[in-house]
Amino acid sequence: MDLYIIVFYLFALITLASAAIVVISKNIVYSAFALLFTFFGVAGLYVLLMADFIAVTQLLIYVGGILVLLLFGVMLTTKVIRVDMRTATVRTFPAVVIVAALAGTLIGIFWSTDWPQSPASDGFERTIPQIGEMLLTSYLLPFEIASVVLLVALIGAAMIARRERKAL
Amino acid sequence: MAAVRAYFNNIWIALTTVAVGMKITFKHLFVPAVTLQYPDVKLKLPERARNRLYVNIDDCIGCDQCSMVCPVDCIIIETIKSTPDQDLGTTSTGHKKRLHVPVFDIDIAKCCYCGLCVYPCPTECIVMTDVYEFSEFDRNRLIYSFSIMTPQDIELAKEKLKKAEEEAAAKKAAATAAAAKAVQPSGAQALKPASPEPGTPEQPGNS
Amino acid sequence: MEALENLGVWGSILIAVVWSALPIVFILLYALVTLYAEMKIAAHIQDRLAYMRTGWHGTLQPFADILKLLQKEDTISSAADRKLFRLAPYVVFMGTYGAFSAIPFSSIYIGSNIDLGVFFIVAVSSLVVVGILMGGWASNNKWSIFGAMRSAAQMVSYEIPTALAILIAVMITGSLNLQDVTKFQEGGIHNWVVFGGPLPLTQKLLLIPFTLVTFIILFIASLAEVNRTPFDLPEAESELVQGFNTEYSGMRFAMFYLAEYANMFLVSAVTVALFLGGWTSPFGSFLSGPVWGLFWFIGKCLLLVFLQIWIRWTLPRLRVDQLMYTSWKVLTPFLFVCIFGVGLILVL
Repeated sequence: MDLYIIVFYLFALITLASAAIVVISKNIVYSAFALLFTFFGVAGLYVLLMADFIAVTQLLIYVGGILVLLLFGVMLTTKVIRVDMRTATVRTFPAVVIVAALAGTLIGIFWSTDWPQSPASDGFERTIPQIGEMLLTSYLLPFEIASVVLLVALIGAAMIARRERKAL
Repeated sequence: MAAVRAYFNNIWIALTTVAVGMKITFKHLFVPAVTLQYPDVKLKLPERARNRLYVNIDDCIGCDQCSMVCPVDCIIIETIKSTPDQDLGTTSTGHKKRLHVPVFDIDIAKCCYCGLCVYPCPTECIVMTDVYEFSEFDRNRLIYSFSIMTPQDIELAKEKLKKAEEEAAAKKAAATAAAAKAVQPSGAQALKPASPEPGTPEQPGNS
Repeated sequence: MEALENLGVWGSILIAVVWSALPIVFILLYALVTLYAEMKIAAHIQDRLAYMRTGWHGTLQPFADILKLLQKEDTISSAADRKLFRLAPYVVFMGTYGAFSAIPFSSIYIGSNIDLGVFFIVAVSSLVVVGILMGGWASNNKWSIFGAMRSAAQMVSYEIPTALAILIAVMITGSLNLQDVTKFQEGGIHNWVVFGGPLPLTQKLLLIPFTLVTFIILFIASLAEVNRTPFDLPEAESELVQGFNTEYSGMRFAMFYLAEYANMFLVSAVTVALFLGGWTSPFGSFLSGPVWGLFWFIGKCLLLVFLQIWIRWTLPRLRVDQLMYTSWKVLTPFLFVCIFGVGLILVL
């Protein structure tokens, strides 16, 4: 038993358990808060895969940004606790077919993939310089396009949210 | 353009005013404290401070004026008339004392420290002192009893008064009976207070 | 250490636990000192004396306060959401404490010398926001939920100036690793990033105005990040009682309190490591070394904490619209100008 194995199973457990709560919980706020631990666990798994930059970015964007936004959305809805969430199963037959197809595909892919196993390296490699260089050389165009798209979204949101002064 | 100037002017004002404020507070960091360490050091009270009431019961003539004037009714006085043979002495201001004062209670918890009871007192026996630390754990302990008469004293004084009254009544009855017999009008004399009772050996100790 | 490593996995776990528990010892000691200092500074600024009766000049008061908190009843209101209510203080403290792992206390002590350093700190502190929202919502109290909402909105908006200001320091030093950033500034006070860093003289002189502005903005933004006055809207006691921790008492309240004070130190530590030379001595090689490094680092941080306390007892609270105005219309545009200027100077 290696320390890494223990930590891996710990993070895997956190991720799976909290993800299960997200799906199963009848209280929408519990689902939202359980997402915190899912994101956290996934970030831990990224770290174990030597992708520290992705892990921290995951925390920053998903926990700091998206989760807070989500919580705001959930909390601003009135009567959060007493909201009647439907948990009854409807349309069982089509659902079973779709889920079975999806599960079959995924299992098939898992089965047929030749999982490469690299020997565990000592310590972490420096990944940020490489990521930074790649973003500004080989992948400059996608990077810039993404930023322009985000800018457009920002301006669009501001335009929609702006109060029309002549409306009154 | 004016908006731009206002924007930068605003920022400049914000920064400078913050600096001014912080300079002031920094100076005050080294100003010696203006507060007193209360239980160790006490503020000198003004000469006419109104705090806990004190009654010099020796001087009290039981006139009940302080009790009547009290706006919150925190003074309770009961009196017993003295019989003519008793000499209750005089107060330090020269007033003749004619009443026993078996009860003189002040509920200081009710007192509003207005000082109105002090002014009407003819003998200046009720005063406001400068004592202000008299908190108690039990509210009943804030009812101060100033009377120094013991229950026996009170009992004795009451009996005496009763006896004197009975005698006076008897005398009056005798007088009216005599007046009814004799036609001469001596009723005016009979109504006067009874003459000293023969044989009143002990004085109630109320000096 | 050798013997422990021979124990295999348990030995490594033990080492990891001891190594990561060092900051909590520091946080507790620091909280005691700051608790005392805050009250004393507040009192002296207002020409008072504060605690005088517990020990010499009330020095035992923090211990008394903590004892009081320890034995207080841990109340949970019946309408509260018990699970989330209990969880929230831990999440808040976890976020704060996690960030401490990347703080370089000295040249030989840093919890985890990761490359991402300051980026990691910014990311992990966002857990605090979620914890506060959790606590505020679970209390089922209007004041709590308002405080939590304000807190989250404020922290999310002020993350942008903070991140941009950190970015400027990173542009100059060329690393996210706080240990590298600190080493970059070695050699005395003139090499600190706030004074342009150890660059050629012309570049340095051109950089100084930008770095000074950035430093001030980072300080202001960090005040807002930790909800200190004048940005204490989430806890505004005159409007919201205590904000998100209104319903908390006893140890859970103490946890929030500890996290708040630890956060004050955390933002100061980031500012110090990025702009004020971290653990390097201000006199070059004079008085430097691992132990002196610890002294300089903590000393500089406590200086900034003092500044925070001093500001708290000077300025009144901002209004919500003023708060947002400051963030979006003043700090952020200024930082954009600074980023542009610094980038231009560094390229030249």
